[in-house]
Amino acid sequence: MGFMNASASFTRYHITEPVPSDLWSQVPDKLKQFAFKEIEDTAEERGWGWVCFDDMLDSFWRTAPPEKGEFITFSLRLDTRRIPSAVLKKHLALALRDEERKIKEQGKKYVSRERKKELREQVQLKLRARSFPIPAEFNAVWNIQTGAVYLASTQSKVLELFEEYFSTTFGLDLEPMTPYALAVKLKGEDVMNKLDTLEPTRFA
Amino acid sequence: MADTPYLGQTIDVVLGQEYLTWLWFRSETRSGQFQTPDGDPYFLYVEQRVSVQGGEGETLETATVSGNLSELREARLGLSTGKKVNRALIRIEHDPEAWQLSLKAEDFALGGLKTPKVEKADSEDDDPDAAFLEKMFLIEKCLTYLDASYNDFLNVRLSPEWDDEVRQIGRWLEMAE
Repeated sequence: MGFMNASASFTRYHITEPVPSDLWSQVPDKLKQFAFKEIEDTAEERGWGWVCFDDMLDSFWRTAPPEKGEFITFSLRLDTRRIPSAVLKKHLALALRDEERKIKEQGKKYVSRERKKELREQVQLKLRARSFPIPAEFNAVWNIQTGAVYLASTQSKVLELFEEYFSTTFGLDLEPMTPYALAVKLKGEDVMNKLDTLEPTRFA
Repeated sequence: MADTPYLGQTIDVVLGQEYLTWLWFRSETRSGQFQTPDGDPYFLYVEQRVSVQGGEGETLETATVSGNLSELREARLGLSTGKKVNRALIRIEHDPEAWQLSLKAEDFALGGLKTPKVEKADSEDDDPDAAFLEKMFLIEKCLTYLDASYNDFLNVRLSPEWDDEVRQIGRWLEMAE
């Protein structure tokens, strides 16, 4: 998902606190420090981190620096391994049959609940290692003059991850520009009292 | 089970739904004419697709209408039976430019924002960021207009004039019946 597409869906944020002036020069290093690391050769279920705005395969900003005019640009890369449930079911059944055959030889009748859980974890790990992580990229744009931050996603799970990781990387909190927060931003904190006691209107 | 809403979240829903309802009324009754606080005139239309919602929990009902005016009239009828606008398709015009976006009431998530066309750099001498910077300029310009209309809404909503505005909205809704 990106801002350069013909049609963009996104979420607006605002940085709530003053940004330390020495942070700007550290931004490229911080992005690299928390950059995306490939999970292709692991069995990790999810991997995420920052990548270059212009190339999601670039975790080193060789293609272009993050600064563009008054903006800092980067993308959240989120790779996820998903095992189709039918595949998991099949391999779990195979593993169980194998196990049942083994314990029969030992004179036992049932596979214990504990052992089933263990088998399930083993199967999941084995299948994950064999499946391709599905890459996804979400553009982020930070206007350093206004403190506005835009993320090209409206999925709550992606937003949560972005907010947390942004805060970990830069030590700054993002406030989503919901109707309430935008009202306070436009009209000042004095309106909070009025907003907090707002009664819903009946139009009809 | 949905999480219990916190105070701010409930107010988000009320503000967002009332703003979109007001925006629809205001845009229709004043031929879409709006102005930024600096006096820059622009047009804003609530069009084509409006989604209204009523009830709660299991009785929650959503009706989305799109297309011609008679169907929009139906959505207005929905409003007159107590439903609220929970999403609207908005068109903003500032000659010669035009934007389109859908806005969700509860969190102001922006969907499918289309800006005026941005020309891609066609020679290597051009600034490689030119297209990006123009695109961001256009996106932020659209947000300025949107915020200006929200600011107008808040001015009325948080003042004693709101009661009078609500009566006018009521009359506008009756006209749809």
